Amino acid sequence: MTEKNKAILLSISLFFLLIIVGEIVTGNGDRSKANMTEYEILMGMGEPEAHVPGPIEVGKLAIKELSHPFYDNGPNDKGIGLQLLYSIGRVMAGFFLAVIVALPVGFLIGMSPVFYKALQPYIQILKPVSPLAWMPLALFVIKDSIMSSVFVIFICSIWPMLINTAFGVMTVKKDWINVSKTLEMGSLETAIKILLPAALPTIFTGLRISMGISWLVIVAAEMLVGGTGIGYYVWNEWNNLDLTSVVFSILMIGFVGMVLDSLIAYTSGFFNYQE
Amino acid sequence: MQPKFLHIKKLSKSFPIKGQKDPLVVFENVNFSMDKGEFVCIIGHSGCGKSTILNALAGLDVPTSGTIEMKGLMITDPSLDRGVIFQNHSLLPWLSAQKNITMAIACRYPKMDRKNIEEKARYFMEMVGLHDAMDKKPSELSGGMKQRVGIARAFAIEPKLLLMDEPFGALDALTRGKLQDQLIEICDRTQQSTFMITHDIDEAIMLSDKILLMSNGPQARVVEAISVNIPKPRNRAEIVKHPAYYKIRNYLVDFLVNRSEEIKAQLINNTISDKDFPLVIDPFKSSSSKKKVQQ
Repeated sequence: MTEKNKAILLSISLFFLLIIVGEIVTGNGDRSKANMTEYEILMGMGEPEAHVPGPIEVGKLAIKELSHPFYDNGPNDKGIGLQLLYSIGRVMAGFFLAVIVALPVGFLIGMSPVFYKALQPYIQILKPVSPLAWMPLALFVIKDSIMSSVFVIFICSIWPMLINTAFGVMTVKKDWINVSKTLEMGSLETAIKILLPAALPTIFTGLRISMGISWLVIVAAEMLVGGTGIGYYVWNEWNNLDLTSVVFSILMIGFVGMVLDSLIAYTSGFFNYQE
Repeated sequence: MQPKFLHIKKLSKSFPIKGQKDPLVVFENVNFSMDKGEFVCIIGHSGCGKSTILNALAGLDVPTSGTIEMKGLMITDPSLDRGVIFQNHSLLPWLSAQKNITMAIACRYPKMDRKNIEEKARYFMEMVGLHDAMDKKPSELSGGMKQRVGIARAFAIEPKLLLMDEPFGALDALTRGKLQDQLIEICDRTQQSTFMITHDIDEAIMLSDKILLMSNGPQARVVEAISVNIPKPRNRAEIVKHPAYYKIRNYLVDFLVNRSEEIKAQLINNTISDKDFPLVIDPFKSSSSKKKVQQ
């Protein structure tokens, strides 16, 4: 058996193991009224009760939800697909706004030691701030909850992009810069024809980290501002004590995060080069 | 009087050393000149500043003092008039061999149209015998092929002066020999003025009209300018039969093994003066024919 096949087999066995263990751990014992004393029945113990759902319960919900992912029955009842699209939309908006700012500034920092040294303290202080700490300020200034969560995505995804772009530009091989010099290229021409293609693999690493962080942060941001989105959905289902939906959305968040990550990884493949 | 094609006057380079008052002088009072169409090699031990001189000629490095003039104009910045072939090919790895060359041509002739640029690139790739590898990325080429693309790129901008920093240093002996032959053929044909750093004595004799010898660093000088009076075109098999070949070769070996260090010591002890450096010497005629260089 090849290594790949062994891995597949192990992965599948693990899946069934998790389902079986999950069913056992979350099992609520025998709840049929026949086994209860009259007192227990009077106390309402036979009534449905919130509990951590087992894998089969989640699976049933998943099939139901995923067969109509985009329905919209008003503010508190939207399909999971619709909610995810709201979140993805916000992440994309914030992410691309950050790209527009981070790439030019990253080039500036990477190409000019003066700018690098001058901006370094600001970056170092702002970078470790939890993006959600910006939320109150954003809400007050922007006065729009959706735009505020876009801003939060923007502010959290800008730092890895900025730092990786600057680092990528700074570490471009001196030989290649000498080539551009001997060909009498100007700064802009050097930036576009030499620095950008040389730094792209490093820049894409930054984009990938940023996308990962954005997807982490959007859930929390939407829990705060509410309205729509997967973060709001999770919190709403918690308020409904519908833990099955909570577990289901955890899985969906993970799945979408994986897709977003592999999209960037796939795109970066076109810009990698081998020395 | 017509200005010299290339004229280097009183060139020096020094670096400050941390915690010491006096800077480290790598080389000083370096004077030499070069004619159009001449092939000049510079030989010296590591650390004498050969690469710094070449980079200064390219405009990539700034000397501490002294001037470099090309046709009477000072060299301070890099220019397309001076093509550089670096030791490690320095091709852009994300571009194909052809794109590496067309990019250089497009910089040299901004008004040339796409078709002519590509034709020119093909011509120079054929010149180095690589027209089959046009679309390959540098990572798909062998070391020798990469260096050939680098040579094609440098020739493609048709520089007035070609600078080469040990272009074959990283190659195996067989590949090096092949590329040297190719370079001799191209340089003979194009009458390209070339300044080259090498550690290989045979390579220097094969290619050069003049070989500059440097004493050991620090405080290195260009001590002598050796004339290589062996008629061109030269070829590997014939050149060793020429009576001048071994005289020059032995002279160079003696210089590198013994005299480069002796001269360094003499310069430090002030027992000789560098006033008349570089001395023009033709080992084939006689070692007593030292005469003052015409500045």
